Amino acid sequence: MPRFAIHNREDNVGVAIEDIKAGDEAQGVYIEDRSMGPVIKALEDIPLGHKIALRDIKAGERVIKYGRPIGVATRDIKVGEHVHVHNVKSIRWGNLARR
Amino acid sequence: MTSKYPTIKAYIRPDGSIGVRNHVAIIPVDDLSNTAALGVAKLIRGTIAIPHPYGRLQFGRDLDLLFHILSGTGANPNVYGAIVIGIEDNWANKVADGIAKTGKPVYAFGIEGNGDLRTIEMASRKAKELVQEASEVQRTEVDLTGIQFSIKCGESDTTSGLASNPALGYVVDKLVDLGNTVMFGETSELTGGEDIVANRISDPTLRSKFMKIYNEYVSVIEREGVDLLGSQPTEGNIKGGLSTIEEKALGNIQKLGTRPITCVADYLDPVPRNAGLCFVNTSSAAAEAITLFAAKGSVLHFFTTGQGNLVGHPVIPVIKISANPKTIKAMSEHIDVDVSDLLELKVSLTEAGERIFNYALRVMNGRLTAAEVLQHDEFSPIKLYISA
Repeated sequence: MPRFAIHNREDNVGVAIEDIKAGDEAQGVYIEDRSMGPVIKALEDIPLGHKIALRDIKAGERVIKYGRPIGVATRDIKVGEHVHVHNVKSIRWGNLARR
Repeated sequence: MTSKYPTIKAYIRPDGSIGVRNHVAIIPVDDLSNTAALGVAKLIRGTIAIPHPYGRLQFGRDLDLLFHILSGTGANPNVYGAIVIGIEDNWANKVADGIAKTGKPVYAFGIEGNGDLRTIEMASRKAKELVQEASEVQRTEVDLTGIQFSIKCGESDTTSGLASNPALGYVVDKLVDLGNTVMFGETSELTGGEDIVANRISDPTLRSKFMKIYNEYVSVIEREGVDLLGSQPTEGNIKGGLSTIEEKALGNIQKLGTRPITCVADYLDPVPRNAGLCFVNTSSAAAEAITLFAAKGSVLHFFTTGQGNLVGHPVIPVIKISANPKTIKAMSEHIDVDVSDLLELKVSLTEAGERIFNYALRVMNGRLTAAEVLQHDEFSPIKLYISA
């Protein structure tokens, strides 16, 4: 059974559709045609609705979801890591936030 | 021959508009008149008071917007008739005149020179007549076309973008194809996806109007130079897994379906009944957006939520749709339609969308929503700037 969903084939993050525990080998699924995607070993707990890295993402690299940039990595992120506000920030409003 | 339209049993108003509720609204023009409005609603069964904190010393476009919202709320097709109460006669009459243009009964009262008690008595006598008249108005079978709807999401999380918003997008396409109006707004929350919205507006004049509205809204926010990341995404959004405004926006616009955007309305612009998919400039605060949609004629609002928003409205039903199984369990009394099986990929998008559509038909025919039963009667006029 798939445990995380991928909006677009270009995405480098997936979204947990149920709670995933650290160490779990989780199956991904592509939303568009419901075909099975990669199996990723979770390095951390990924709560329902939170994002998991589908590949290594370097600091400064864009995080892609829906085939579009949703932000930029603020540090190196490994495949299977939890991707959230601790390691990604807005491209649009990130600079304002530091004022 | 069968009609191509599904039918509903609804109220046909004197101006030909279609309502799905039959309220008698007691509308205060200003903060001072809330007490009298609430007094009437307490005395007369079947009325609903719509208190709010504004209406004194507003000026210019901000005052025009308040009048637009107060008159529009009374003029909403879900309202049979209205009582307007203000501290002074002039503004009360102005709001009442806006409502009277629809041909429905409306009475205005000024408190100055009478005091609360005499005003409550006079207004209550008229309210009693209105309720008795309204109680005899029957629902009539009408085609589901030329009716105004609105959509918004709130306390969103990634389940909104994955499931509840795409399912609502299916419903939006269907309503637009039937010749209805579907309004959406949340200007600032389009940030990161505003180009996608703009590209769906084929008319170049409307597209530049949209971009002008969007850019002005964002420039007002940025002029404050504050840490917007503290409020966008919200604490609830972040708990649900949304990391940035861009991610939130891309999830947000999943509910817009796939049809072209054929209408762009700024705060004071009227929205026609067969406008198709229509952008309305609104704040992204749930009650403020729904209050403006209802003032422009929406008779039913679809609200998707991830982490669990509670919002309702005094005169229009708000249908809550969620795909987050934790929220649906923890806040079950607030959720009308559960599409968590779409998140789990156990049903198709069409099945989930049809479930929402069929529920909406029941609500249009009279079934009360969770927000209506739980008395979530939020009414929040958008205020543009300081008062004098």
